[in-house]
Order: sequence, then structure tokens, then C-alpha cells
Amino acid sequence: MIRFILLRLLRWLPGVLLLLLIVYALMFYGGGDPIQIMFSREATDLFQPGNPRYEALKDKMGLNRPFLVQFGDYVWKAAQGDLGLSLADGRPVMESISAAFPITLSIALAATAIIALVGIPLGVIAALNQNHWPDNLILGGALFFWGIPTFVIAPLLMVLLCLQFPILPVPHGWTGVFTVNAIIPLTVAAIRPMAIVIRQARSAVLDVLSEDYIRTARAKGLPEWVTITKHALRPVLTPVVTQMGVVMTNLLAGSLLLEIVFGIPGIGRLIRDGILNNDYSLLLGCVLVVLTMVTLTNLLVDISYPLLDPRLKQAQRGDV
Amino acid sequence: MAPASTIKKLTDDGVTADEKAIGIWRDSFDRLLKNKMAVLSIAVVVILFFFAIFGPYLTPYDFLKQDLSIRGQPPSADHWLGTDNLGRDVLSRVIYGARTATLVSLLVVVLSSLIGVVVGSISGYFGGKVDFFLMWFTDLNMAFPNLVLGVVLAVSLRPPLSRWMEQMYLSTLNPVFRQSSLLDLALVIVVIVLVAWCPYARLLRSQVMAVRNYNYVLAARALGLPTFTIVTKYIIPNAIGPVIVQMSAGMGSAMLTESALSFLGIGIQPPIPSWGNMINEGLRQWTSAPHLLMAPALVLGLMTVAFSFLGDGLNDALNPRQWKG
Repeated sequence: MIRFILLRLLRWLPGVLLLLLIVYALMFYGGGDPIQIMFSREATDLFQPGNPRYEALKDKMGLNRPFLVQFGDYVWKAAQGDLGLSLADGRPVMESISAAFPITLSIALAATAIIALVGIPLGVIAALNQNHWPDNLILGGALFFWGIPTFVIAPLLMVLLCLQFPILPVPHGWTGVFTVNAIIPLTVAAIRPMAIVIRQARSAVLDVLSEDYIRTARAKGLPEWVTITKHALRPVLTPVVTQMGVVMTNLLAGSLLLEIVFGIPGIGRLIRDGILNNDYSLLLGCVLVVLTMVTLTNLLVDISYPLLDPRLKQAQRGDV
Repeated sequence: MAPASTIKKLTDDGVTADEKAIGIWRDSFDRLLKNKMAVLSIAVVVILFFFAIFGPYLTPYDFLKQDLSIRGQPPSADHWLGTDNLGRDVLSRVIYGARTATLVSLLVVVLSSLIGVVVGSISGYFGGKVDFFLMWFTDLNMAFPNLVLGVVLAVSLRPPLSRWMEQMYLSTLNPVFRQSSLLDLALVIVVIVLVAWCPYARLLRSQVMAVRNYNYVLAARALGLPTFTIVTKYIIPNAIGPVIVQMSAGMGSAMLTESALSFLGIGIQPPIPSWGNMINEGLRQWTSAPHLLMAPALVLGLMTVAFSFLGDGLNDALNPRQWKG
């Protein structure tokens, strides 16, 4: 098992490092001078190139070292939990991120739960009514909500439910997953990626229904609901779980946007602050968090995959 | 219905290739027309293109003209969608936004599918290590949120691009290079192309891998034709079908990414209207003037939904094997 996890990690780690290298290089060569950004508010030429204080500071911050040395240093420190200082306010980036991350994580986890609890049954219902109106309605609805951008549906729901028919308070800020304020943001976060799960669950059920053992169960006269619940639904989870990486990718992208719409102080807000202030070290930290979350989800999927489907136990021993 | 299917079964074997090709396209087209949502989406897309091309000549007001005496008005007979906080006509701005969105997404789809076709055919035809590396990279790229990579690219490519534009201005004195709206457009298109080409490459690769072993390709190789000719004349034309389907979905997602970047303030900058930056501006006063938010949001939502239904319809029509059920 440990060997299997290590193998999977080996598949993902070089990629994550490469992406991080690309992002670092983009900001290093394109982003502009960190010292000038730090002191951009002060109308003094003390911190312009050529000034001894500028050069001293540049030396002290290690900005005169070669690119790869600086990158290696960043990765080494990041692995120990030090993401450097923000260019805008000089606070440690890790501090801002550890305040924001639990909020984004709880949105992601709660939305995943909603997606699974609502999406899988909808997919099953669609499959059992193949090509009839419930199927068409569910598939059409999934496609419809898949098409709408997060930052369109979020404000529209807000106008509809808080202004036109004021049944909910205006969601602003974050008070926790189990509060009234979270209803609209969580709905918005879940509704777009749910389409992936619905489609996957539907086609999984359709695949299973054409298997021989289902025909056997029906032939021996089992009631239809027993056939469905005892035999057809079990293997549905596996194909759905394989899509969790894609779901997480979409969930994160959406939650970044909806945090801005609803003023939720999560990673999305940090990214917005980073953009506004040209705060490259903050942006880099946020990118690292997103990369880590997506990678961990994919790793968990890889690991849980053989546990869910005994036929794949072979793969777990390392013969991948 | 019944006779049609028997005819189809009969023609599967006994017709010449030419007749069959026409039959398949006609068949797909018929299937597309039967899909009501797809037809509706085509209508919406045609209207979008119409307004993108002719819109600015049809609107009664200039999308940039400010009139502070009528600012922040709700919809009325004079201004169908009201005015914004600088007294600009919202309808004119939404219509100009169609031009921004269409221009960006058309160019993005063309450029990213070109890159995808080149990378995908190299990867699929040569295979081996090149293929392994390219597909590893596209997999990686597709596993992470496009939007985050787009943000990084947009933020870090803006300073070098504006430096380059300034240099071009100084050396040519052509005022075009001083237009910041041109800079925004170029930046947004480059950024979205860089994050959007991967699905095309993957799609074309799998098609090329299937086509490259067909007899006529082997025959072309046996005749000693250069690889470039074989790939461009014999393989790509027969592998391109699914790419066309992907282009429709790609239009929608390019439009979505453009407006998301503009929404975040790193895409198209005001005063040039993009639906994304209009939503962002509208969000600041959504309780007092919801029409500023609703107008661009509804239009953008309608467009992206239309493209996703159109893509789905095309997929059903052109890949009958993946048909529902």
C-alpha cells in the first residue's frame, strides 16, 4: 500500500513542481521588481535601482541570486511552511493563507457533500427513466447549470432571493457552513460541478443495467427495487469517485469567484487582493494552495479507487 | 422511421465512399435539426453574431458617452436597460460587450485549435517519448483550474506586453500601439489561448492514432510521400471531426474565461465594455440598481448556456455511437 501511494506521488510531484516552476518564472521575469512594488506607495527615490539602500535591500532579500537558486530556496522554505512575506503589507503569506484556507476548504467539502448527496440520486433517477421526461429534465438541467458561469448565477440568485423575494438575508462574509448565510454560496458552489457527477452516475447505472448479473436477478424474479438497490447501485460509486479530481478543479475555480461575489474571506479573496496590489508572493502562495488541493484530491482518488473496486486490487500492489 | 433505419443498415456496406460521406454529413445535420435545444441555441448564437457585427451601428447611444444628468436611471422608454452611474446607456454597452466577447472567443477558438491540431498531430503521429511528454503536460494542465493559471498569466504577462507595445510605439510612432484597449484584447486572447489548447490536442491525438494505421495512410507512406504531406493531406482532414464539436464548447468556455478575467479586473478594462467587467461594476451597487448587474449577467448566462447546448447537440449529431442510451 505504501509503495502504491509513493508511486502515485511520483506521478504527481514532478508535474506540480514543473507547474510551480512555470508560475514562479512568469512572476520572476514578468512581474516587476518586488522592492519597487513594496515601496510603490512611498514617493521617494530611496528604493529605486542604483540607490545604495535599494541595492542593500536587494542583497538582503536574496534577489541577486540566480533564478534557479531563488526558486529552490522558495520550494525548500515552502516545504517547511514558510511562504515568504507579502509585498503589500509585509505580513507572512502563510499567516493570511492559514486564516483563509479553512474557509475555502469548508466550502469545498460541504459542496462536495451536496454534490454527492444530490447528484448521485439524480443521475440514478435519470438512468432508470432513460429517454423519458425525468431523464430529459435532469440532463437538460445539468447542462443548463453547467453552462452558467459562477459569477453570473451567484449575483442572479442574490437578486432573486434577497431583493425580489426577500426570503434570505444578504449573504456577506462567512459565518460557517451550517448557517443561513451559507445557503446561497453553497448552492452556487455545488450546482455547476454537479453536472459532472449526474452524467457520470447516469452512464454508470446504464452500464450496470446491461450486465448479465442484473438479467439473472430479474430472471429469478427479484422485485425490481431489490434488483436496483442491492445489485445495480453498488458499482456506481467507483466511476463517480474517479471524477472527483475534475469536480474539485471546477469547485475551486467556482469558489474563488463566488468568494469575491459574496465577500467571503477565503483563498479567492486573497487572490483578488494579490491581483489588486501586485502582491506576487501572496499570489504564488495561493497558487501553491490550489495546486496542493487538486493534487491531494487526485491522490485520494487514485488510492481509494482499488479499495472501491476489488477487481483493481492488482493495481494496488504496484503493477501499474 | 422504420424504412430509414433499414436503408441505413443496407448502406453500411454496399455504397461507394463518396456517397457515404455525404450521407453521414446529411444524417448528422438532420439529427442536429431534430434537437430543439440545439436549434434554439443556433438561433441565439446567430443573434449574437449579428449584434457583434452590426450592433454598434444600431444602438441609439454611444457606449462611451457619459451624461451625468441622467445617471443611475432604472429602465425606461428612452433607455431600455437604464443608465449606469456615469449616465451611459446600459443597452448600448451590453451590445458592445457582445462584440468584445465574440471577437475574443472566436480568435481564441481559432488559435487554440490550431495549436491543439499541431501538438496533437505531432503527438499522435510520432508517438513514443514526444507523445508521452506532451500528453503528460496536457494532462497536468487540464487537472488544474484554468482560471488560476489564467490569473497568473494575465498578471505576469501584462507588464512585459505593455513594455513591448511602448517600444513598438517609440520605434514606429504608430498610435495603434498606444491604445490600451488593444493591449487588453491581445493580453486576454494570449492568456486564454495558452490555457485552452490542451483539450484540442488530446482530442486530435486520439483521432490521429486511429487514422494513422489506415490502409490509405500506409499506401501514402509506401509511395514515399513526405511526412508533412501525409499528416496534413491524409491524416488531419480525416481526424478533425471531433475538434469541430469541441470548438463549439470552446467558444462558450472562452467567453466564460474572458468575462471571468474581466470580472476579476485583469481582462478587458473599463471603459471598454465586457460583460465581465460590467457585472463587476454592477455588483458594487446591486441593491440600489440591480439592472446594472442583471443585464450583462443574463446576457452572458444566455450565451454560455446556448454554446453548451449547441456543443451537446453537435456531439449527439456527429457521434451517434455515444448517443443517449
